[in-house]
Amino acid sequence: MNENQNRQPLVRMVNIHKWFGRVYALRGVDFEVGQGETVGLIGDNGAGKSTLIKILSGYHRADRGEIYFEEHKVNITSPRDSRRLGIETVYQEQALAGDLSIARNIFMGREPVKNLGILDRKKMDEESMKALEELGLHLKSPNLPVKTLSGGERQGVAISRALLFEAKLIIMDEPTVALSVKEVREVLEFIRKLQKERIAVIFITHNLYHVFDVADRFVVMARGKKMADVKKEEISLDELSELVVKSALVE
Amino acid sequence: MKNSSESKFFTYRVINTLIMFIALVIVFSLFTPRNIFISVRNLASLGKLVPDLGVVALGIGILMVCGEFDLSISSTLPLCSYIFASALFGGLSPVWGFVLALLSGLALGFINGLIVVKTRMPSFIITLGTMMFWKGILYVWSRMMPTSIRTFIPTDSLFQKVLTGSIGPFFPVQTIWFVAFAIVLGIILHFHRFGNWIYATGDNQEAARAMGINTNLVKIICFMIVGVLCAFAGCMQSVRLGSFAATQGVGSELRAMAACVIGGTSLRGGIGSMMGVFLGILTLHILDNGLVLMRVPVFGVNAFIGLATIFFVLLNSYLDRKIK
Repeated sequence: MNENQNRQPLVRMVNIHKWFGRVYALRGVDFEVGQGETVGLIGDNGAGKSTLIKILSGYHRADRGEIYFEEHKVNITSPRDSRRLGIETVYQEQALAGDLSIARNIFMGREPVKNLGILDRKKMDEESMKALEELGLHLKSPNLPVKTLSGGERQGVAISRALLFEAKLIIMDEPTVALSVKEVREVLEFIRKLQKERIAVIFITHNLYHVFDVADRFVVMARGKKMADVKKEEISLDELSELVVKSALVE
Repeated sequence: MKNSSESKFFTYRVINTLIMFIALVIVFSLFTPRNIFISVRNLASLGKLVPDLGVVALGIGILMVCGEFDLSISSTLPLCSYIFASALFGGLSPVWGFVLALLSGLALGFINGLIVVKTRMPSFIITLGTMMFWKGILYVWSRMMPTSIRTFIPTDSLFQKVLTGSIGPFFPVQTIWFVAFAIVLGIILHFHRFGNWIYATGDNQEAARAMGINTNLVKIICFMIVGVLCAFAGCMQSVRLGSFAATQGVGSELRAMAACVIGGTSLRGGIGSMMGVFLGILTLHILDNGLVLMRVPVFGVNAFIGLATIFFVLLNSYLDRKIK
């Protein structure tokens, strides 16, 4: 992909620091995502990748550092702020409410309403089915409880939520963890669909094999620092895997 | 089962409760002495009694869907009733006394909710604490003396008629209040945006928070709904009895919870329906009433309510596993 080189940056996080009490979780991290780019964010547990992303999605606040969105400095203080910018986060399993229907999950917190706050169910049902089809998911009814779906389908529901609200950047926190091989393939297919829609993706994982196929660039983190930032055409899977192991061992 | 529209309204949980309800009505109609169960007099007295607990239990149903409990209702209810009585003695008109009681109920609910969300402790424990605290305050303040309010609210005054009168020779107004509350709360829970927030909060609080729902506010509002319903029920009951009694609401916290469980509400939150809670309340009461009419000793009736509660918990968890 030649367009990679001169993409406009969509998000730029500059010199981000974060302490949790006495734990120095992020030690001055710079992180960037281009328009429509897919970035694989890799690192061991406790490397700081989730913390970094939670700052971007408004769940935590950085103690120091700046965030620029489309080259404007922004102040993200809550998940709402982040979503208003067009950043959607698909959390690990916890993103959905199992007993609620697909439509109610997709519109959770942003329900379309008629007068007096009464839900516009027709709109909820139709638009959720449309968004799911865009991802290539054909489910029987928008009223099925989410817990009756497979792991891959659930990720699809969470991602279609982001699609529906015209996200510019979708953050996926370990989207393939605890999924079967077939379901992983489904999720990777969702990501390809997002790429076609020119939606940027941050794919957080510690599984290199899942991310290598789909990502344009890789950022490796360890102990609160960025250890490497490489384009896919500059590295092979083996080199990347060696890089990850090495950066985990460096003191 | 059809899973298209309005799926939450008639789930298998509601159907179970409905079957139990209908079965009990048939059994009691046939087997109570002289079929007294379906006599107009018995039904009218049920129509007066059921709403006392019922109105409160509707709120508890909503609170349980959002994942919390309130044991303090057995104190909130008589406390608000006493505030109402005191306001009357203090010279307030019944309407203003009533408003004051409702506001007190809201405030008590707010306090419960605030403590629960700020401390993040189980509401079971927090409201056990507030129950005992307010009960102590009430007992000292009222000296546990029944206080007649009949002089302030004479029978056949407009206030009495609106709250506890009857339409025609016997149809009690309380029943209309009860059904009206059930409908309004049902609309909120099932058709309103706020209802979706309640379900989301009870089902997966982290997800709800990540989706921008203020789950703390949702919980506090649910506690306030319970508080104001307690105040309403407390005043309604004291007007019916013509007096405040410190024993109002005794045992209501557990009976309300039992009614919700019989109606298919989950103890873990996120599952339950207004129709279920409504039927659960009716089922609990006719079980009570029918057994007494069949000469089961009054205090023995609890044994059956206990069995029914356990039965529904087991039945619903069994069906959940099977359907999953």
